[in-house]
Amino acid sequence: MRPTAIESLRAAQAALAELIAPELASAFALDATQTVQMLLESLASEWDTAAETLSRDNETLSSLLSASRGALRSAAGSNESLAPIVSQIEQRLREDTATSLVLSDLTSRNSSLRATLESVLVAFEDLTGRRGSEMIDEVRNKIYSHLREEAARGWSFWDVSSFRGRMAALQPPAA
Amino acid sequence: MLQKRIQDYLSAKIGADNVAVSNLQRIPGGASRETWSFDARWPENGKEVARGFVLRRDPDASLLETERDLEFRVMDAVAGHGVPVPKMYWLESDGAFLDRPFFVMERIDGCETSPTKVLMDPRFFAVRERLAERFAGILGRIHSLDWRASGLDFLSAPADEAGCAIMEIEKWEGVIDRDALEPQPVLRAAFRWMRRHLPSPAQQIVLVHADYRTGNFLCDSEGEIRGVLDWEMVHLGDPMEDVAWACIRPWRWLGDESMGGLIEREQFYERYEQASGFTVVPEAIRFWELLGNAKLAAIFLTGARSFCEGRTRGPMMAFLGRNIARLELEIMDLMGV
Repeated sequence: MRPTAIESLRAAQAALAELIAPELASAFALDATQTVQMLLESLASEWDTAAETLSRDNETLSSLLSASRGALRSAAGSNESLAPIVSQIEQRLREDTATSLVLSDLTSRNSSLRATLESVLVAFEDLTGRRGSEMIDEVRNKIYSHLREEAARGWSFWDVSSFRGRMAALQPPAA
Repeated sequence: MLQKRIQDYLSAKIGADNVAVSNLQRIPGGASRETWSFDARWPENGKEVARGFVLRRDPDASLLETERDLEFRVMDAVAGHGVPVPKMYWLESDGAFLDRPFFVMERIDGCETSPTKVLMDPRFFAVRERLAERFAGILGRIHSLDWRASGLDFLSAPADEAGCAIMEIEKWEGVIDRDALEPQPVLRAAFRWMRRHLPSPAQQIVLVHADYRTGNFLCDSEGEIRGVLDWEMVHLGDPMEDVAWACIRPWRWLGDESMGGLIEREQFYERYEQASGFTVVPEAIRFWELLGNAKLAAIFLTGARSFCEGRTRGPMMAFLGRNIARLELEIMDLMGV
């Protein structure tokens, strides 16, 4: 269907900039218009790949949780508080993983995986750097590597100002 | 109509019958409170008095849940100690006059506050160094202020110098407990990391502005800072908290490594040390920068919840809620992971 979702978002942005903003006299209203403009920009930047990104994230999170289970089991002998986290991971990994591509389903799955990852990561922060924590440290590094990749994705208003240099440094050098 | 209601309010406060209010405008920014600017004229002793005011009213929903009484009292108190702030006039703690609590302060004309203007308008290029010097100097002055003698001991204080960091960790972790709508693995892990890497005790418990940065002061084209704004998070604590907050990446508006877009880090430290008498401790700054980024993320989560629960339609609340990722990136950099 044309205009596509992206084309429609771009049309809304153009209407805001070219038709609505010039008619506004109030600085406050203009400022709100610019914010909506940026909100639309962030949506447009992720729209096309949102389902694929979430689906891949969910796969990666499942794999990280699986690796975390192994690392926690190896550390659990001396730490009873880790057993409930291992159970939580097992339950999460057993849950329905039907491959619905509906965004709300993917988001819901993502949220429950991230909730478990949250518990895991907090536990890892207590365990890391200790004697015998090599397995924990290895999985922890992988988790942070994934979280860094997630955090650097998409469009952010910070990138046009404060994070400009930081984000440029993350880009691969031009061929 | 708001203009008429403000007019009636001023008439009652000033004790003049015919106060005229004009040019009422809502000012962008100041997401924690509605900010309005207006002019007022009234007769006094046979002459006409004209004055510009700013009114800060509690919003329906906010990025921050703060006490306007506290902000008013602190700004009023620091004014007499060489800290430039607008003159505070009246505080109303209930909604009797304008539906919600508010306060009225002096409007300082002829100044800029927007970082874009202050850092990118050619009028300010030549005075940037002076501005940077004032920026560091005023922060030193705030921290040197004797808060007990200034009547600011009503602010909650940490138990001791070692308790400053944990007090702030608990405050902002509590905001995430209350307001996060989704799991926050990076923020949760960061708070855990901070608890394991507490900074050395504060050199002294001082008045902490807690939002001291480029964008929160009014400056003129001579490079003079004429008003430090946005005191709503003010508290007693570690001076390094303010130094680090001024340095966090979100306020490095020029996209490079200059602090606040104003000054190189080492120079900022040097000037601050000269003004305050405190020593900047880089390891403490790392901790407080990390906490600062997590605090900012927590503030955005509060805005996002307000938006998602329909307590505000302000697009900024929705927008900021979707912009936490870069803060997480910075947090992970500071954690060294």
